[in-house]
Amino acid sequence: MSYELDWSVLWSGQSGGWLLQGFLTTLEISTLGWVLAAALGALCGALRTVPLTILRCLAAGYVEFFRNVPLLVWMFFWYFGVSPLLPQVAREWLFDHGAEFWAAVFALGVYHGARFSEVIRAGIQSIPKTQLEAALSTGLTIAQAYRLIILPIAVRLIIPPATNETLNLIKNSSVALTIGVAELTFQTRQIETYTAKAFEALAAGTIIYLTLCLTIALLMARIEKRVAIPGMIGQGSAP
Amino acid sequence: MNRLLIVLIFALFNGLSDAGAETTLEKLDKNGTLVIGTRTGSPPFGYVNKKNEWVGFSIDLVEKAILPAVSKKLNKNIILEKKESAPATRIPLLQSNAVDLIAETMTDTQARREQVDFSLTFFVTGAQFLVKKGTPIKGIESIAGKRVAAQQGSTNARIIRERVPSAKLVEFPDQPAAFQALIQGQVQAYANDGIQLAGLKARAPKPDAWAVVGDFFSYEPYGMAMRKNESDFRHVVNVGLMDAIASGLYFEIYNKWFGPKAEIPYPLTTESKRFLQMQVVPK
Repeated sequence: MSYELDWSVLWSGQSGGWLLQGFLTTLEISTLGWVLAAALGALCGALRTVPLTILRCLAAGYVEFFRNVPLLVWMFFWYFGVSPLLPQVAREWLFDHGAEFWAAVFALGVYHGARFSEVIRAGIQSIPKTQLEAALSTGLTIAQAYRLIILPIAVRLIIPPATNETLNLIKNSSVALTIGVAELTFQTRQIETYTAKAFEALAAGTIIYLTLCLTIALLMARIEKRVAIPGMIGQGSAP
Repeated sequence: MNRLLIVLIFALFNGLSDAGAETTLEKLDKNGTLVIGTRTGSPPFGYVNKKNEWVGFSIDLVEKAILPAVSKKLNKNIILEKKESAPATRIPLLQSNAVDLIAETMTDTQARREQVDFSLTFFVTGAQFLVKKGTPIKGIESIAGKRVAAQQGSTNARIIRERVPSAKLVEFPDQPAAFQALIQGQVQAYANDGIQLAGLKARAPKPDAWAVVGDFFSYEPYGMAMRKNESDFRHVVNVGLMDAIASGLYFEIYNKWFGPKAEIPYPLTTESKRFLQMQVVPK
């Protein structure tokens, strides 16, 4: 039994519009989720390196709790678990204004924030202590040393793993369909419902994800190369 | 999602490449098993019951009506094997040869008939709404502007989108999530086939708190799907169903799952009974 491919389903009818809508929704939840994740990650990643035990423990607790529970559970948590805690008026308003969208943004942001935090912590901790000592011996204050030497190096170091996390976040946004967010994967299924053409619809979705992620990966590789510090070990290995 | 991708990849490498391979009947004869795709969470058609057994009306029909017909045709004892299918995976599962027959709650539609073939209609229902008792929603005419849940990939969602574009439709991949959203108020009504809603209501912690409302706003004839252009196999499946309807076996099975004493009582209307009987052609 052979399957007859019919790619025209992707541009006939409403399919094209749905794919575009899905792509935009995926971009929206990914972008908002990323901003939240980067902010939480930077905060907690930094907190985990400070000399105050209580702050370190708080940040570590957040990271371990949120990264070790499946994202799917977090989706349900933010959608079904949080809303009953809100006052009636806020709840009704939220339900009328895309509750599932915001639940998905929070699920993605908080989950990936925990993972970003580790990336950022690793970046800061990978800089040898002597680097800081050398900076201080040139007459810089601690704050200046962090701002002018340590952080600029750390940010460069974490570009590859942070890119990795970003791409993961984009692909993980497809889990949002479980709480009814009409993102890209959702729309490919919609096309399948209307046309019964599963392969074409999924292939289109796959190509869009691939294109989006490859674009970001290439962009980040260029940035990495551009900002590389001449003479540092391992620099310039990006394509 | 993962399952869907596996099916897709499997299908691309298998289904697409082996054009002109064996027919379904040849495959059954060789393997000695009939592999069906069915549901695990759609009572009473296909679900895992409290004793952890995978059972249901659709599964019973295959086991008691179709399997004997297939065994008779091939003159050997054929064993039943069950795999899980869902709206998004069922057609790829068939086309990749992973399953031979979809026996769950699949509505026979013209668009789907371009991809797969269907057996006789073995159950008739239509879309309605599940709401909290006492809410003003009375049917499709009163959902404008309301938040309505539906099953992803279902015909119901499509009809609502086309007929009441102002309704705020939220589509969930499975029943539990949609029902949870209804309980918590994320949505004010849940659209699905009447029988599925009756099942959901019957199993809810407080069945009396819920009501299934509205006239059928769609016609949902359930059929069993199989690979296209396999008229020999399709005929055997239909003979199994026709014999069961003619002999009364179908109605026994129906009573077991939908009779007055069943978990989800859904009496067969005279109309539906007559319709089922009229599908039986003479021997």
